[in-house]
This record gives sequence, C-alpha cells and structure tokens, in this order.
Amino acid sequence: MPMKGLFPIRRTLEYLQKGDIVFKNRVKIMTVNYNTHGELSEGARKFVFFNIPQIQYKNQWVQVMMFKNMTPSPFLKFYLDDGEQVLVDVEGKDHKHISDHVRKILGKTEEVLQAEAQAKMQESNPANFGPRKYCLRECICEVDGQVPCPGTTALPKEMTGKYRTKMAAAQE
Amino acid sequence: MSVKHASVHAKWIIGRVIGTKMYKTAKVRVTRLVLDPYLLKYYNKRKTYFAHDALRQCTEGDIVLLKALPEARSKHVKHELAEIVYKVGRVVDPLTGMSVEGTQFVELPTDLPLILGEDQTLSEKLQELNISTAPSGADSPPAQNPTS
Repeated sequence: MPMKGLFPIRRTLEYLQKGDIVFKNRVKIMTVNYNTHGELSEGARKFVFFNIPQIQYKNQWVQVMMFKNMTPSPFLKFYLDDGEQVLVDVEGKDHKHISDHVRKILGKTEEVLQAEAQAKMQESNPANFGPRKYCLRECICEVDGQVPCPGTTALPKEMTGKYRTKMAAAQE
Repeated sequence: MSVKHASVHAKWIIGRVIGTKMYKTAKVRVTRLVLDPYLLKYYNKRKTYFAHDALRQCTEGDIVLLKALPEARSKHVKHELAEIVYKVGRVVDPLTGMSVEGTQFVELPTDLPLILGEDQTLSEKLQELNISTAPSGADSPPAQNPTS
C-alpha cells in the first residue's frame, strides 16, 4: 500500500533525521521569501518543499517563516541573536546549492556535531546504575550471573546481615 | 533567589500585526512550524503576542521583528518592537532597495520633472502650461453633468 501525496518520503522519520543542517546557537529566526511562479524561484520552491522539514526537525527552536509573492526575487534571511541579519540571495540557484551554502555559512560543522555527540554519550555511561530515565540498569541484581534480588528470592543464610552479626558476636 | 533570566523563552520573534487598537501596543500573530505526530508533516501553529510600540508606527498587516524585554512590561506585554521588516503596501526589496508590489517593481510617484530653460523663470513656465479656470472656447463642449 503506497503512501499518499506527492513525494511522501518527505514525511518519514528517516528522511527528517537525515537532514544535515544544524544551525549555530546564534540563529533564532529563518525567513524564506519566494514566488509561486517563475523559473528563478524554482530552486527556492524546491528548497522549501524538500529541505525545510529537515531543517525544522533538526532545529526545533528556530522559528521558520515562509513568505510567498512579496518580492520579485527570492531570498533567505536569518536573524541572529545579537540583532545581526544575514541575507542570502537564491535567485536561479538549485536547492542542493542553497542548502550547501546555508550549511557552510550558518551550520555547525561535522567536528562540532561529533564532539557534541561524544559529550552526550559520556553523560549516558552504561557503567552507571540509577533511575531508568538516566541509566540502563537500576541495580546489579538485574545482571545475569550476579546475586539475585533479595526482594524476590531469599539470600543464602550465610550472606544475611543478621547471621553475620550473630557469628561475629559469638566469636568474641 | 535564582538568577533572573529574561522574562520569556523567545528572545527574537517575527510575526504579523493583527491589531493596533491598544494604546501603544501591537497585537502580533507569530506562526511556528509544528510537526503533526501522525502525518509527520509541518503545519503552522499560531500564537499571539503583545508588543510595545512606543511610536505607534505599526499598521495592521505589517511583518515585524520583536525583541524580548528584560522584564515584562505588564501582565501580557513581554516584547517590544525591534523593527518593521515589511511594511504593508510599501514593501522594499532588500536585494535592490527598490519598492516592490507583489512580484513587480514599482516606481514611486514623483512630481513632474521640472526642466527650466536657461532664461526661463518659474512663472513663465507656469504660464506655458495654460492652466486657467475660465472655459476656453476652442475646446470640445464640456461633458454633461450627470443628473443626480
């Protein structure tokens, strides 16, 4: 049973996660002005159709706004945190070209992304035990080959605390 | 007490002015793209913000850039107008700097070009134009007044 719509692959999680433009922290707003007709806006239209969902998926906190048929030439405008604005002319450009250019000027580089992924992995160390939300396991009793949880099966008599204290007291 | 952050999470937002009837305040509608969890498609979700507009320069339909105030000005107003990005009816193309209407460039109406000859003064130029309220005989008969 095929998916509905034009290019429904755009609506898959795998496609959204494949997006490679992650904006730097300074970028707050992205605005795309393009036209619905005309050869020159073709690249911009394809960019909006294919790449904007990927960008928004990867940058949840950036406001993306589209404006149609406001000016004769298509362009992108980015509003950064300190009031700076970046204008990108996309007239006549291909959508692949546009996304590469945007990535080059305002996207995080591969190394920065990998360093961030590494830092995240270190935080979630599998060697840590704790609440399910943060760690893999809560107690060593969950691991195969370790002493089973005393809540479910009784410990052998020699390992219980009361037997040990009794033995220690009897020896003195 | 904990460190005082800015009053809102959104520091800079862009929106469209939908109301200016309040005193020095603009009602701005901001749309953000939100993913529908089942369709996996992005739709615009609207939210209205109130922004302080000290000079009352906003009209309904402008696209404006708002900046978060360091602390809320009143219960609802937490932003102020940073700049009007596209003024309704007077959009200026940022690439060329010319005024624009839809997908066409527009020439703003200027006064008729005044070309004075070397020895002509302004009054002589005006006389040339032959403007007068007295009806001139040689012209075609005046149009019939529509009966009201």
